[in-house]
Amino acid sequence: MGKLYAVIRREYWERVKSPWFLAATLLGPLGFAAITILPAVLALRQGTSNKAKSVIVLDATGVGVGDRLRTALAGGLRSTDTSRATVRVMAPADLAAAETTATREVVAGTFAGYLVLDTAVVAGGPVRYAGRNAANSQDMDLVEGAVRQGLLSHRLVAAGLDPLKVQQLSNIRTPFTSEKLDERGRGGSGVGSVVVGYLIAFLLYMMIALYGQTLMRGVLDEKMTRVAEVIIASVKPDTLLAGKVIGVGGVGVTQQLVWIALGWAIVSFRGPILGAFGLPDVPVSLPSVSAGALATYLALYILGFTFYASLFAATGAMVSNQEDIQQASLPVTALLVASIVFMQPILLQPDSTLSRVMTMLPFSAPVLMPLRMATVQVPAWEIAATLVGMALACAVAIWVAARIYRVGLLMYGKRPSFGEVARWVRLAG
Amino acid sequence: MSEPAVLIRNVVKRYAGHVAVRDLSLTVPTGTVYGLLGPNGAGKTTTIRMILDIILPDEGTITLLGKPNTDAATLDRLGYLPEERGLYKKMVVRDVLRFLGSLKGLSGAGLDRRIDEWLDRLTLRSEAKDWGKAKVDELSRGMQQKVQFIGTLLHDPEVVILDEPFSGLDPINAQALKDTVVDLKRRGRTVLFSTHLMDNAERLCDAVCIIAKGEKVLDGRVADVKAAHASRTVALALDGDTDGVAREVLADRTLVAEVDDQNTFFEVRLAPGAGAQELLARLVQRGAPLRRFELVQPSLHQIFLDKVGAKGVEAGMSGHG
Repeated sequence: MGKLYAVIRREYWERVKSPWFLAATLLGPLGFAAITILPAVLALRQGTSNKAKSVIVLDATGVGVGDRLRTALAGGLRSTDTSRATVRVMAPADLAAAETTATREVVAGTFAGYLVLDTAVVAGGPVRYAGRNAANSQDMDLVEGAVRQGLLSHRLVAAGLDPLKVQQLSNIRTPFTSEKLDERGRGGSGVGSVVVGYLIAFLLYMMIALYGQTLMRGVLDEKMTRVAEVIIASVKPDTLLAGKVIGVGGVGVTQQLVWIALGWAIVSFRGPILGAFGLPDVPVSLPSVSAGALATYLALYILGFTFYASLFAATGAMVSNQEDIQQASLPVTALLVASIVFMQPILLQPDSTLSRVMTMLPFSAPVLMPLRMATVQVPAWEIAATLVGMALACAVAIWVAARIYRVGLLMYGKRPSFGEVARWVRLAG
Repeated sequence: MSEPAVLIRNVVKRYAGHVAVRDLSLTVPTGTVYGLLGPNGAGKTTTIRMILDIILPDEGTITLLGKPNTDAATLDRLGYLPEERGLYKKMVVRDVLRFLGSLKGLSGAGLDRRIDEWLDRLTLRSEAKDWGKAKVDELSRGMQQKVQFIGTLLHDPEVVILDEPFSGLDPINAQALKDTVVDLKRRGRTVLFSTHLMDNAERLCDAVCIIAKGEKVLDGRVADVKAAHASRTVALALDGDTDGVAREVLADRTLVAEVDDQNTFFEVRLAPGAGAQELLARLVQRGAPLRRFELVQPSLHQIFLDKVGAKGVEAGMSGHG
């Protein structure tokens, strides 16, 4: 027991105290936050770079529709930034000449495009847009919406309504949320739970792949530096293998706990954080994850990691150099990557036979089951059967891996063939 | 008499296609320095790994200090230095030693105190520089070898097993290792080491076992082995042999099997059944001008050659080192 602890301790601490772990653990969520916050910041701060808004409005309506359009394009009356659209008011006769000038400016890159508002527009005639971003449907939606809003407010004012009142009424912002319902009732936001399912599936996949391969390289490293022989003169190979799986797995658990804590902190304190960037608070409705689901995820990770880690460790013990390890680990990696391939079909049809089988097979369950659990209500017996199946698969994987590990650790030279490895498993006492 | 440190009985180890160790039995008495000698590929490393329960013998039994070698507590009383040596390169020296110590059941302040003592003893720690705080790969090769010794001896093992300990050592560390072996012996510890360097073994060992091709050739106390292989070689020097009487005597094939004639110096191998006394008497009787007549003590190397023959010597066998 003392020896097992000694191995776990070394595997765990040598990794946790390394600067790489610290960087990945702390910067991981920050990087994640950065890629969600930064674009928003850039979009707001560097408005001129926003093509949809840097347009010329050639206004020949004579009633100032262009100005209203500009206000709408900038995001309503309260918005102070009205520099994005340049309105040129003119007589209908000058329109053709102005269009030629505007074309030159767009070609030169000064503006993204120009809108042509002739007199017919007020009566419901067509509005033309020409620009570099004409193929961008999002930009076009924005421009079109602004044109509608500009025309609407003009008509309302023309009908005798208070311009300010018009602006207030026509400026509609509707935050749209959706909610998932299942037989237990409300399950948090529908889109949110799929996102969370994706996140958990990817997280488990990443953690298993990352730390499984870390373990594999650790085993190979012990072999290549020849430390292995000193160690197994003091510790049984099985104890060493167990200690490594627990130690490295523990590093993964630690990292996930830190990420969850950081993620929770970022969501909880997003107000001040967003405020620091000059952004308004956004409502985030976290999908509620029940304690039972959380325990299932944890069990899936532990069993999944143990399964793959044992196989990765055996692979590390099989080879003697860095060149062989990629090829040797291909079968194990392929097994793991196969799970990712099935993410899309399972998300689309979570209750199909394919989905049910793939989420219950021991090698794909740790990645795919969380995904299915996030989208549909998975029967309890299926989860129980999956976990039992995985536990059995783990027992077999550990048994095989321990035998390969025991023999392979002292074998140097060329990579053994499949037949040779099979003999190791058979003969290792 | 206490239990032997290592007792191997009829051990066999087969690999696909060949037998690595064939019916090997040997006894390492407690408190001795014991040499396991043989050319490369003789089965030394396989034998040592079986003693340490790293690999299992196909047949036979091995006991350590009176207990089966599968007993974990007994294995903790052993210290092992493998032939291929290495350490975790990225780890701090002190952490490596703590880890190796903890694998032998040491812990806490006692472990740290031992590490300090050893770092001091092998000059890895001084007022100016504490190499214990450095990472392993910052150390020179010689210093890494010292750290490896410390790892082997940190828990003050009763039985120390060293596989080819002299290979790859610089002269200073080789001397330090010899001193350490002598010191261990003085403190009543048992040292078992393998080597293909017979000279080292001859000077250090109380007893030896010579193996070749997985089989024991001979074993026993070095003095007994030498006595049992009494000299068959005579070194002979003459003050000229003008009338050729000495050469006449040496040509007698009932007396002399072989002569290496170097003009005034002769290395004479006696014929089977003939004695050195007889040769001396004949030479004196014929009036050969003797300047030197000496029975050469056989070296382990010669004994090995005599027993196994030059065919048993494969690449790597050497009488010097």
